[in-house]
Amino acid sequence: MHPIFQDKNSVLAYLAAWVPLGLMLAFVIKVSARLGWLETASLTAPLTLFLAIVCLSPWYLAKSLPLGTSSRAKVLGTNLIAAMCASAILMGAVHILLFLASRLHPGPVGACHPALPILAGVMFLFYLLSIAMHYVLLALETSKRAELLSRESEFKALKAQVNPHFLFNSLNSISALTSIDAAKAREMCIRLSDFLRNSLRLGEKTSIPFSEEMELTSTYLDVEQVRFGRRLRVKQDFAAACAHCEVPPLLLQPLVENAIKHGIAALTEGGEIAMTAHVERGQLRFTVENPFDPDAPAMKKSGFGLVNVRNRLAARYGSAARLEVQVEPNLYRVILSLPCGDTVKG
Amino acid sequence: MSIRAILVDDEDLARQILREYLSQEGDVEIVAECNNGFDAVKAIAEWKPDLAFLDVQMPKLDGFEVLELVDSDLAVVFVTAYDQYAMKAFDAAAVDYLLKPFDASRLRTALEKARRRLGERAPGPRAAELKQAARPPGQWPERIVVKDGARVHIIPVAQLEYAEAQDDYVALHSVGKSYLKQQTILSLEESLDPAKFVRVHRSFLINLERVSKIEPYTKDSRLAILSSGAQVPVSRAGYLRLKEAMERG
Repeated sequence: MHPIFQDKNSVLAYLAAWVPLGLMLAFVIKVSARLGWLETASLTAPLTLFLAIVCLSPWYLAKSLPLGTSSRAKVLGTNLIAAMCASAILMGAVHILLFLASRLHPGPVGACHPALPILAGVMFLFYLLSIAMHYVLLALETSKRAELLSRESEFKALKAQVNPHFLFNSLNSISALTSIDAAKAREMCIRLSDFLRNSLRLGEKTSIPFSEEMELTSTYLDVEQVRFGRRLRVKQDFAAACAHCEVPPLLLQPLVENAIKHGIAALTEGGEIAMTAHVERGQLRFTVENPFDPDAPAMKKSGFGLVNVRNRLAARYGSAARLEVQVEPNLYRVILSLPCGDTVKG
Repeated sequence: MSIRAILVDDEDLARQILREYLSQEGDVEIVAECNNGFDAVKAIAEWKPDLAFLDVQMPKLDGFEVLELVDSDLAVVFVTAYDQYAMKAFDAAAVDYLLKPFDASRLRTALEKARRRLGERAPGPRAAELKQAARPPGQWPERIVVKDGARVHIIPVAQLEYAEAQDDYVALHSVGKSYLKQQTILSLEESLDPAKFVRVHRSFLINLERVSKIEPYTKDSRLAILSSGAQVPVSRAGYLRLKEAMERG
């Protein structure tokens, strides 16, 4: 169905938009047929209403012949033919109206002869205008739907990231600490709350500075540090230029979480997570390295976390961003590259 | 009777809290603590504890793999953070499972169950069954663990060429070596992806990807020649299964 019928207000707005157009039409009829206002109105009002209804039909044409995928000649030809048909139908309506008028008012209206070619031309132009408007409407609808879809996938991504393992293991650590080191237990409660609160807060935004994402990541690592103790060592080296790069929230932290889950957690002696970031030709390059146990099967494939990151990058940056995974005998490296600065697509 | 227990968890704090709770129980003695699956298998063989508190996600071997490699009269209480599939398995077979974080009274309940189990000296859960139940449907293990004295071998499933039944054991042939594992060939077959492994004979299970050709042997049987050159007998029923699996794949 035509999107205008989705609610009453848009139907009313559409009809209201036709009032000035109807007045224009009335002017043409009045001048060319030399009629009084009343006669003009009785002729123009039904004609305009009919025109308004006919001018909704390009929606179906625009939908079946979208601009991007159909050939230009086809779009142009079909629409021109449609416009001609529409003006022919409308002229038919004019004739019927004139005939009715001559029967009802054998006076001046019945005898009048409005400039029919001009009228036909005006309606032809109206119809062409309506086709153009409908293509704009279609483009708007399409982009709105695309945005909705990408929002939805982002939301799903965020929801999936509240990792229950992390949460329950952290709570277990806190529970253990309460009797050994109450102050440390309290500190961990606060770190964990900071992390959860900031995840929620930042997750609502479309993009955040790289520095904020790294602050969140470092809170996350603080919590994991308590859990893993000496097994977890962290090294980071971020170039100053990265701080202001805009990144989607909670995109980089999961990479670090992956490095712990599949790397450090599977090693008895643990290991070092090395993060680096720099800006190169306008691209932010973020690298996470972690050692892993080659006998553990999980790290060899790109885990769920990475699939998620890939999808989000594709939805947002298209081909401007990439995620690369390098696997060396004992080292797993993820390299993410995305445009530094707020170059969000669309 | 005092219970000799072993704690297996890769996180110091997670073992710490178990130690704290267990210290309040008069009849539980902690004989060993391990932070990975390998050490756990070794320590269990060495100390022969009655009860193991076993984490599921651990370095080297996970909790299920440990269970597969130890004697079945060990009572096991799993201790884990969250794993919906694993929980199903615990319900079916383990003495009990503790979800982190847990309190002392929850641990006491698990101990009660363990005491009852130890009193009965009932056989423990069949590890292979437990492992199968713990896997999400449609997923198959990527490796097989085998204990060889004090050593543990890990065989990637993709590298398993064929398995041969030998009494209560199966001989697993992989990369020119053979490993003996205490398992029936039926339970091995059930634990592997049926699209990849086919029982071609009462005593033989082969990896489809390793078959290079099938030759006639006697009137009713054939021989499968594997990529390593190994020859495996194929029975008539086995040949039908093999044909079916190959057509499906």
